[in-house]
Amino acid sequence: MAGPRRSAVQRAQLFVVQNLIWAILVVAFLAFSATLPNFFTLQNVHFILYVASAIGLLVFAESLVLISGSMDLSIAHIAGLSSMLVGALTVRWLPFLPGWTGIPLIVLVGALLGSVNGFFVGWIGINPFLVTLSTFLMYNWLTFYINRGAISGVSPALVFLGGGRVLGLFVAIPVMLLSCVLLGFVLTRTRFGGYVHAIGGNAEAARMLGIDLRWMNFWVFTIAGALAGLSGLLYIGYLASIPSTIAGGDDIFLAFAGAIIGGISLKGGEGSMTGALGGVLLLGIIDTGTAMTLINPALRGFLNGLILLLAILINKYRVELRDRFLMSRPGPVGGAP
Amino acid sequence: MSLPGRPVPGALLDLQSIEKWYGEVHALRGVTLQIHRSEIVGLIGDNGAGKSTLIKIISGVIPRDGGQISWKGENVTLDSVRQAQALGIETVHQDRAVVGIMSVARNIFLGREPTRGFGPLRVLDRPRMAQDAGRLLRSLRLHIPSVDQEARFCSGGEMQGVAIARAMHFKASLVILDEPTTALAVTGVQTVLSFIRRLKEDQIACIFVTHNLHDVYAVADRFLVMVRGRVAANIRREEVTVEDLVQMQLAGKAEA
Repeated sequence: MAGPRRSAVQRAQLFVVQNLIWAILVVAFLAFSATLPNFFTLQNVHFILYVASAIGLLVFAESLVLISGSMDLSIAHIAGLSSMLVGALTVRWLPFLPGWTGIPLIVLVGALLGSVNGFFVGWIGINPFLVTLSTFLMYNWLTFYINRGAISGVSPALVFLGGGRVLGLFVAIPVMLLSCVLLGFVLTRTRFGGYVHAIGGNAEAARMLGIDLRWMNFWVFTIAGALAGLSGLLYIGYLASIPSTIAGGDDIFLAFAGAIIGGISLKGGEGSMTGALGGVLLLGIIDTGTAMTLINPALRGFLNGLILLLAILINKYRVELRDRFLMSRPGPVGGAP
Repeated sequence: MSLPGRPVPGALLDLQSIEKWYGEVHALRGVTLQIHRSEIVGLIGDNGAGKSTLIKIISGVIPRDGGQISWKGENVTLDSVRQAQALGIETVHQDRAVVGIMSVARNIFLGREPTRGFGPLRVLDRPRMAQDAGRLLRSLRLHIPSVDQEARFCSGGEMQGVAIARAMHFKASLVILDEPTTALAVTGVQTVLSFIRRLKEDQIACIFVTHNLHDVYAVADRFLVMVRGRVAANIRREEVTVEDLVQMQLAGKAEA
């Protein structure tokens, strides 16, 4: 069938509206560049990407869960607890393990912690907010219980992905970008990805068409957990040690914020990894920019929140504008709207 | 009507003494019925008569508590939507069967998308989906501007068309339509009725569930009237008028 018969101007407008996050990104970047002398440098762009890597994986994980129509409050603490567990395991409990075993192990532990959420949401049928609120508390305090303070002496193999460089480039950046591409591929090109959108868009319809909501929810939370484990690995690399506050603080809220300013709907179904990447980069720019401007970290945190609110507001109008464009159908089509 | 427990030879779908309880509520009380090949059956009855429960059982959405189901002469468990689909039973659920934020093409294939490659490298065959979807919609004379359009921008009639296209594509032998015309304007109703006639041309049997007797009278070969969890009447179209059917529904209500 022929494509939608829209004029070139209409298509251009639609394109801008659908990719508004990138426009906001450029504006934010130029605004900081205009006010800060060292902002517009290759070195700083490299740094922004690096800072955005670990939180980026959390944003992708949260995006996946949000697209499936759920939410995960525990995602940052999955990163924290899996780092702590694998750190304690490789440094203290089983020191004979070679360092590199921590890499698959941390992803596995993350997946396991995520699958707990998936089990209760998918198979027991409890509201995801309640399930992940409970695991949020459990995972957070378990991290403190295992170790108060920091575990140091982490194997170099575990630090490499988050802190190492190859030819000057931080390895964390391609790890984040590759995860984004892979997840984007799964979401747009595979049956599983389609069902993630379907259960988020209309769970009842998906169920009646034979899509198993129990397994779908289980795997969505499990994959999100695995991504969070990988994110924990990057956090270990940032710090070269594992404090009990790792991936704590604002991180869970930033994971939501990045996803939502990237155009992922809280109602489920809608959103793309391209958008989520835009959200991640905007978070990185804002964070780096405010870090370079303001000395008071409390004010910096406040400003982060304020800028996020602005971005969310813009996104709200973006969605309305987009719908208006899509509603205006060219030519006679018949039937009620 | 046949006696319970004895399958009717030659029937496409044969239900014997189907029981369903919702806690204390006896929703289906020994429902026995047959559907034959390329037959359009109007399933009518007041709200709460058990129509929806019955079709959910036939489409594998909910399990039954008792009774036997046979399909083309063979006993079947019919305990999942997948199994029903594999047998050739497609259900068009009451205006909820479409995922609004997905494209028309993706909706037609949702749950059973064609793929390319194999193993973990299996990816959706999007060009094929677009092509087949376009062909199906044309054969239904549905003029949706693009198969890439999000389904939420379709009218009610078009959405029913999308769901019916799904049934046609997967070569169903039986299509169940749950209240397909209830939410529609007059032109939409005519469109849907033409789809149903189209199904009959393709020798697909159809169960048309509705409480709008005028719509169903225009196309059905036979009517099953449900009253309080039972099939109260099984009549051919030639033996009955719309007014008779209205009376039967009302009588069921008065009895309750």
